[in-house]
Amino acid sequence: MIRSSNGRRTTVLAGLALAAATLVAAPGHARADVTADCELLEISAKAGNKPAIDAELKPLEKKLKKPPLSTWSQFTLLSRSQKSLHKKKPESISLKIGSATATLVEIVDKSKVRLTVTIDDAKGKHVVDNTTTAEAGDWVIVVHELAGNEGHLLAATCK
Amino acid sequence: MTRPSHPSSGPPSGRSSGPSGLPSDLELMEHADGERDDAELAARLECDPAARAKVEVIHQLGELVRGHLELSADAVHDARFAAMWRRIDGQLVAPPAGVWARLSGWFDRYRGHVITGAVSAGAVAALALILRPGTSDLAVAGSGGHVIDVRPVALRATPEVDSLDTPGGSSTVINLDDEDGHATVIWVSSEDSDPEAI
Repeated sequence: MIRSSNGRRTTVLAGLALAAATLVAAPGHARADVTADCELLEISAKAGNKPAIDAELKPLEKKLKKPPLSTWSQFTLLSRSQKSLHKKKPESISLKIGSATATLVEIVDKSKVRLTVTIDDAKGKHVVDNTTTAEAGDWVIVVHELAGNEGHLLAATCK
Repeated sequence: MTRPSHPSSGPPSGRSSGPSGLPSDLELMEHADGERDDAELAARLECDPAARAKVEVIHQLGELVRGHLELSADAVHDARFAAMWRRIDGQLVAPPAGVWARLSGWFDRYRGHVITGAVSAGAVAALALILRPGTSDLAVAGSGGHVIDVRPVALRATPEVDSLDTPGGSSTVINLDDEDGHATVIWVSSEDSDPEAI
């Protein structure tokens, strides 16, 4: 009886150890795979007599010509970031002016992305902390109005 | 060195003293072995150096025989034990040396347990993968990617701002729609910027 009991205990312990190892490895990997491919465009906006929109901003061109963005007529792409965002893992976005982070909060209804964007200005001052739920392919554009009738834009879309 | 006993009383027949009155060899041997306590014999030995020498020789011979027998007995035991140990050593298997040998030995002994444990672990892991929490994300992980439906523009819902914080400034949310899709514009005006410029 003692030998049988010891054997059973050994079996149970071995099973638990292997199960724990498997649980740590497999589901963790699966959870880490919840991602969204996001594109972030840093744009400089100015008013001018001659309208000019960078060719890389073609996907946003129609929107940039609508109010209130039509306040400006010259839009220049400062930087472009392609990020594969992992759920609840903030990703820092390198900007020409200031800094930003983007976090995939979750994917909603299989077609929407809940995204958090934070922006600090060139002085390190916190400008905005925003969470928006948008359909995949739609845009979230954060506009920071600067002195001299200039604008600093960060546009994000995910799919 | 014992011999058949005989009655000490009565005239010793055939073993009595010789014709010259000297003690016979048998009497001397019995005396040497302590089997005959005869004062008369002892007195005669005092007067007979040859008989005393015989008794002495008998003593020595007895010691020799006793010692030889004891040695023989010990030799027999040692030989038997040596043979027995040789057989035992031959039947013993050398214990495995080294960590790997011990590990493989352990697995050999508990192979059934390990297999049972592995099967149990697999079953538990499969259940955990199926029932694990956090599956509210309907996007299922694929090979190195994800599945997010990009719906047609006409079917898309307007973006919703869940939270907005603009420390040290004000904000305005504007939704823009066109045939390319929706856009939510979050307009942040700092306190030091000119709101009239909008």
